[in-house]
Amino acid sequence: MKVDRRSFLSFVIGGAAGTALSPLPWKLMDDSSIWSQMWPWTPVPPDGEATYENSTCSLCPGGCGISVRKIDNRAVKIEGQPGHPVNDGGICILGLSGLQMLYGPTRIKAPMKRVGERGESKWQEISWDEATQILADKLTDIRNRGEAHTVAAISGSDSGTVPALLQRFLTAYGSPNFIRMPSGRDADELAVKTLFGEDGRTGYDVENADYILSFGSGLVDGWGSPVRMIAAASTWKDKNVTVVQVDPRLSNSAAKATRWLPINPGTEADLALGIAALIVANGAADSSAVSGFGVLKAELLAGYETGKVAQTTGIEAGAIVELAQGFARADRPLALCGRGKGQTATSLRETAAIYLLNALAGNINQDGGMWAIPEADYIQWPEVETDTIASAGLRQPRIDGAGAGKYANARYLLNRLSEGVNGSGPYPLQMLMVAGANPCHDLSDSAGFTGALAHIPFIVSFSSFQDETAAMADLLLPDHVYLERYEDVPVAAGLHQRVIGLSKPVVSPQFNTRHLGETLITTAKAMDAPMADAFPWDDYETCLEESLAEKWDALMEEGVWVETDIDPISDTIRVAGMNAPAIAAEGDESGFPLLLIPYDTLRISSRTVGDTPFMIKTVADTVIKGLDGFVEINPQTASDAGLKEGALATLTTPRGETRVRVHLFEGIKPGVIAMARGLGHTAYDDYLAGKGVNFNELIGPVEDPSCGHDVAWGIRAKLAKA
Amino acid sequence: MKHEQKHNPPMKYGMAIDLDKCTGCGACMVACMSENNVPFKKDESNKLDSITWIRVFKLTNGKAYPDTDICYLPRPCQHCEGHDGHSPCVSVCPATATDYSRETGIVSQIYTRCFGCRYCMAACPYHARYFNWWDPVWPEGMEKYLSPNVSPRMRGVVEKCSFCFHRYQQAKNEAYLNGESRVSEEAYQTACTQACPAGAIVFGDLNNPEHRVHQIVRPDTKNGNKSRNPRAFRLLERTGTNTKVYYLSSREWVRRAGDNYLAHEKTGQVSKPHH
Amino acid sequence: MGTLDKNAKEVMDDDAAQAADSKDGAGGFIILFFIIGFAASMVLGWVIFPKLLYSEKQQPFNFNHAMHVEEVDEGCESCHFFRDDGSFSGVPKLAQCIDCHEEPMGESEDEAIFVEQYVAMEREVPWLVYSRQPDCVFFSHAAHIIGAEMDCVTCHGNIGESTESRPYEYNRITNYSRDIWGKNIAGFKKHSWDRMKMDDCAQCHKEAGLIHTSSVQTGRDACFVCHK
Repeated sequence: MKVDRRSFLSFVIGGAAGTALSPLPWKLMDDSSIWSQMWPWTPVPPDGEATYENSTCSLCPGGCGISVRKIDNRAVKIEGQPGHPVNDGGICILGLSGLQMLYGPTRIKAPMKRVGERGESKWQEISWDEATQILADKLTDIRNRGEAHTVAAISGSDSGTVPALLQRFLTAYGSPNFIRMPSGRDADELAVKTLFGEDGRTGYDVENADYILSFGSGLVDGWGSPVRMIAAASTWKDKNVTVVQVDPRLSNSAAKATRWLPINPGTEADLALGIAALIVANGAADSSAVSGFGVLKAELLAGYETGKVAQTTGIEAGAIVELAQGFARADRPLALCGRGKGQTATSLRETAAIYLLNALAGNINQDGGMWAIPEADYIQWPEVETDTIASAGLRQPRIDGAGAGKYANARYLLNRLSEGVNGSGPYPLQMLMVAGANPCHDLSDSAGFTGALAHIPFIVSFSSFQDETAAMADLLLPDHVYLERYEDVPVAAGLHQRVIGLSKPVVSPQFNTRHLGETLITTAKAMDAPMADAFPWDDYETCLEESLAEKWDALMEEGVWVETDIDPISDTIRVAGMNAPAIAAEGDESGFPLLLIPYDTLRISSRTVGDTPFMIKTVADTVIKGLDGFVEINPQTASDAGLKEGALATLTTPRGETRVRVHLFEGIKPGVIAMARGLGHTAYDDYLAGKGVNFNELIGPVEDPSCGHDVAWGIRAKLAKA
Repeated sequence: MKHEQKHNPPMKYGMAIDLDKCTGCGACMVACMSENNVPFKKDESNKLDSITWIRVFKLTNGKAYPDTDICYLPRPCQHCEGHDGHSPCVSVCPATATDYSRETGIVSQIYTRCFGCRYCMAACPYHARYFNWWDPVWPEGMEKYLSPNVSPRMRGVVEKCSFCFHRYQQAKNEAYLNGESRVSEEAYQTACTQACPAGAIVFGDLNNPEHRVHQIVRPDTKNGNKSRNPRAFRLLERTGTNTKVYYLSSREWVRRAGDNYLAHEKTGQVSKPHH
Repeated sequence: MGTLDKNAKEVMDDDAAQAADSKDGAGGFIILFFIIGFAASMVLGWVIFPKLLYSEKQQPFNFNHAMHVEEVDEGCESCHFFRDDGSFSGVPKLAQCIDCHEEPMGESEDEAIFVEQYVAMEREVPWLVYSRQPDCVFFSHAAHIIGAEMDCVTCHGNIGESTESRPYEYNRITNYSRDIWGKNIAGFKKHSWDRMKMDDCAQCHKEAGLIHTSSVQTGRDACFVCHK
């Protein structure tokens, strides 16, 4: 037998024929195509039982009800809760992104102790027992030296059981230094106290107004309770509601308004008073709503003549007259205060002027009007029994100076903390605790604040995420994310009802985190008698249930408690603050010819939490391109400066300098440039860090002379081609 | 085996988006991304490769300050019907990865058939289709929020808005359980419709007179489905794509922005489709 | 010249004859090698290939279907049921088994493993699912069981009568169960439950007269009916 080429070939051909007639090639083709479509790294999400669990979102003060869809024990989608009194099924871009925060890698996964230098973000994981012990020991140490007042706490909020526990902690400990992050609430609370005579806040029946005069408020850009506002705004057109947006920039709110009035930034108070003067002059005012009406009338007519106001504000006299007439003639006119999302305070003069308009229009505590509501007081804990150390500490002046001297009218002045700790304050701070806030990014003059932290030897952060403030801390005691915890969520946010939402754990804690309320109770119990006694509850849930008392069952069932039948504070106001000087932007015009103002957008979170990857994806390439942030500039102003669309420029203010790109936008006053707030993060992760510029690095606080609140609305600037 | 089924009249799922209500908040974009396992990258500022099944565009009237006006327009896949289901993308797909269903009016996209030639992307006049240039990467832990009802994609395939068809599939399951032959209007709503805080998006069966979207749009089936609502317009209506997403605006300049009108052409004048 | 030519021709003729001879003789070898090659590749394709292609895993422990079916009231539906939203529960989760098996109910070793390693540790049993379809497939049990009034056996076979969990054979390349392509490597099937590929679904739909014409591309059912 010859095994030659022919036989080999016939063997091969035989093989080929046999292979073709066998399933091998056909099956292999099918298998290969399946294999190539199912790479092992493409996730196949496991299926399971779909359930919905309700809770309350607390990512912003809006207080929306959410419904979280779960597959088995994984949360897969956050949706708005249909029928909820605040948002009725709607939800905003931030609320929708909650799961990226819950499951994402920016979570702080366990208690951490700093190793390495501050700001290096080198941590060593420790146990909760050890962490609580470190905190308790440090606190005891300071207290035993009679220096309890040198411990301060910064909190995003001062309402609800958790902030109340933090406040109680400081009170029992002996420190007056509980400081709330600055916000529009500062201005509102002061105005209500000054004008109406009692503690409380305002609420707005925007659904029923028929003429809305907004002084820069981001009606659909996040002011008040954002979803509620957008839902209300979507009904205005059909109901023929007139909406006038007074805004230096064509914000989304201005674009949705019936009329946009581009105003010189910072002159809103003058416009309000000018309109008030006209209303009063025409005899269209509700004089009974203002005590001391006669004096007021005289002052208005003398100081706010239309021509003068037109010149100050940059709005034509004719338009001001139209405004005054429209506002006065409307059945249910309503004036709104607080620029953008309302995260910064307006001056007392401005707030009072706008509230005055509401009073003159006779809408106080009426349908479609502004309501003056006493604060909800549902937390009724036994008074803290202070010992000598605590009493002595509480008698010390506050580190931020609030409540005394020229700052007597302020409750919180975080903008003055840097000054307080860098040597010119009453005493040095030895410890700072930060909860529900990110001042190292969010506070005006953020760089100055971060630098001032060098004077504080021990910093504790309760943040759930690796934010800028956590990066500067020495001890991390991470809180659960809102989706993992029970908590009461009292909602103010411009609602004219009192609403308390209940946040429920939708998933079990994903990491080794602990409820802040629990941490406070545990730490107090680990300290000596006066502290431990002030915290009699076994755990936070017991505390919460007791605090909510008769509301607890209803809250567990419905998830929200609404009180509509409220006794408003008063129907009349007394006037104040009118004669205060206007608030000017820092910087001189010759060196800084432009005005830089911030703008708020729902797509960029500018308080406490940073944008998630989903949210940053929605930001336009005329706001962020690569890592570059943009400023909006009027094309005429740009051409004067020799800047083309997208050009790189150096932006300088008296407070800082940075590199930006310019975006030409016809919807902004010439001479004014605008930058989005909320960018320029340095912490978090690569999806957010390094993108854009932090507006707070370019501006610093401007104190309202009547109280000390930071009421800076912008700062002078210059732009030069880079 | 029972095969006697009540054959319901064909449905035509579509949308009416009221641009007078849309505030440009972007909730629809994130609702869609969250619902449909849409991937994300570190740098999303190159909008040519950023994947957003529904994208909110910012239109401007082009006038100088202070007469400037802007308007936001959310653009999902338009689910073009063309002429009897000949959507531009369906007509060109060499792999039968995309298809038009006469029963629901929805243009489907099946990732396992797609081999990434991107012919459909070239054909789509609305830039509604997106290509996965890279394998999606979910940062550690985030893969937990992925929904099992939508297939995550691998690199090399095109994806697009599906009118949340997986929700129809689930609603149909429930309908079977409850002995109903049709999926009700409330049972099947897209994620973007559901999330919109302004209620600007209305979704439903354009063929069903009881559905809100039909009542708003009132499509004239004898005239290429042009809407009888004077505020309504469709994007690039004159190309004959016969889309199912109708936009409403009381502003003439916005309606005019919906197509490439020459200065002398009247807004909304749509010539009869050629056969 | 004549003789030389004749010789050359003879040689050539001889060669030709020889060649012809050897061709005739070698032809058999060619056919033989062909047959050998053919047979070898047939064996490779039909016998060796399936052996190499499929690997085998065991279930975490043995589950006796027959016994359980006797104990429960509603047959398959007792443990494999529709949820309120119309979705199918599929393979039972631990919570369901615990209803009865909080403590061991019998004396088998398998149950002991279950109670000790899973119930006590609150660990879900990682069952290997024979009918697992790729992620692109959307299969509605509701449409088939409620809508078409089909029974479980038609697609899943007589698993309810089994006393032992058969081994989970899976394709090394695709990682799917052998049950999808079918036991037979060529894809021949005797019963409706022998295969679960898309063609099998289509075959059944065709027989039931259920192919609609909604798809513009194919003239058959639209893709989204069965895919996601």
